[in-house]
Amino acid sequence: MSDRSEKERWDGVKDLLGDHPVTLGGHWSFNLRNDPKRLAFVLSRYKLAAKLACKDRSVLELGCSEGIGTPILAEFATRYTGVDFDEDAIATARRNWTDPRFEFVAADLTQERLGRFQTVVSLDVIEHVEPEREAGFFQAILDHLTPDGIAVIGTPNVTSVPYASPQSQIGHVNMFSAERLAERLRERFRFVFPFGLNDEVVHTGYSPMCHYLVQIACGPREVPRD
Amino acid sequence: MTERQTEWDAVKQSMADAKPVRLGRHVGYWFHATPRRALYATSYAKFAAKMIGRGKRVLDIGCGEGLGTWLLAKECGAARGVDFDAEAIEVAQANWSQEPGCSFSCGDAFELEGGSYDAVVNFDVIEHVYPEHAGAFLDGMLRLLDDDGVVVIGTPNETAKQYASAVTNAGHVNLYTAERLEAELRARFEYVFMFGANDEVVHTGFAPMCHYLLALGCGKR
Repeated sequence: MSDRSEKERWDGVKDLLGDHPVTLGGHWSFNLRNDPKRLAFVLSRYKLAAKLACKDRSVLELGCSEGIGTPILAEFATRYTGVDFDEDAIATARRNWTDPRFEFVAADLTQERLGRFQTVVSLDVIEHVEPEREAGFFQAILDHLTPDGIAVIGTPNVTSVPYASPQSQIGHVNMFSAERLAERLRERFRFVFPFGLNDEVVHTGYSPMCHYLVQIACGPREVPRD
Repeated sequence: MTERQTEWDAVKQSMADAKPVRLGRHVGYWFHATPRRALYATSYAKFAAKMIGRGKRVLDIGCGEGLGTWLLAKECGAARGVDFDAEAIEVAQANWSQEPGCSFSCGDAFELEGGSYDAVVNFDVIEHVYPEHAGAFLDGMLRLLDDDGVVVIGTPNETAKQYASAVTNAGHVNLYTAERLEAELRARFEYVFMFGANDEVVHTGFAPMCHYLLALGCGKR
């Protein structure tokens, strides 16, 4: 038998954890209070992007909000920049994620340039972009990619609209099917690989029944110019 | 006869024209020894088909009895299966040669000519290629590939060797870790995406615990 009680052993484990409290901002506090399982769905999309497109690469996240996905995307990246036009969300991200390898910028990337990255990840953004500004969104991605760049785009499937919450329905002005997203990406990239998610499960099943779409695009067709 | 029987007879009649499929020695062995293996192999082929997309010409090297080749032809548009095992190719041809877009030939993977496929795939092949030949095998895949083509390679993870049957291990002379497979592909492709599978589930989990490895390469150098 050990000379330490279970409680003493547990306290020792706790000491190893350090002390890094995180206070979530309005967006994620709302999500966790109203639909906590959504955290699993969202983190799963980030893990997919991280595993396939972020290891040993410079990463720009377009629409990072409060940075809930930052630690996952940045874990094996060479550097990470999160951008959002919501200043409050960026302030929350900066407060919570203080690793010097992380950078957060409040900006509209259709108006500003932040340099080139090997990977651009943009989840839950394009469905909020008005259709007439959609081309500008894709151009902003291309403008921030290196010639060997990878883009990871995630968005809810248009077929899931009838089941979306009222908040989602108000914000979602440009819903995509897998076919339309792949078409838009193929116009701009040589290779497009489509995935679907239902809840946190990533798969390659029949696309109209996927709740969420993630497509990995690589080989930008235009050689980027600054 | 009840109404339900009549309905079922109509359903049966609609399927009656399907030509019988005869599984050969290899897939037959799966069904007898490890029947779940057919599920896993089909899942890998489906994954490849989805990554490749529609309206494509696929080359399946080491196609065996061609079940995966037929799946690729059906999903992607056209597929040609090649294997150096004449008996397996006979089974493949008997079952699938009359299906649209699906063809087979007996040949050596190292001597294949006539490239420009949209995709070149192989499953459970590279672990049977001696390490000193593996580079030439991969280079051969590249020669057969269009510039905008993709490759998909599936092979058991080296970490799973300890659990493999004696029959399986007898043929495996070149097992890969995810790191080594990725490195060999990175030398040949600008983009490499690594997946793992446990049973039929394809995922992106911790590589050493993946039972099977699936590598996707594109942008040939």
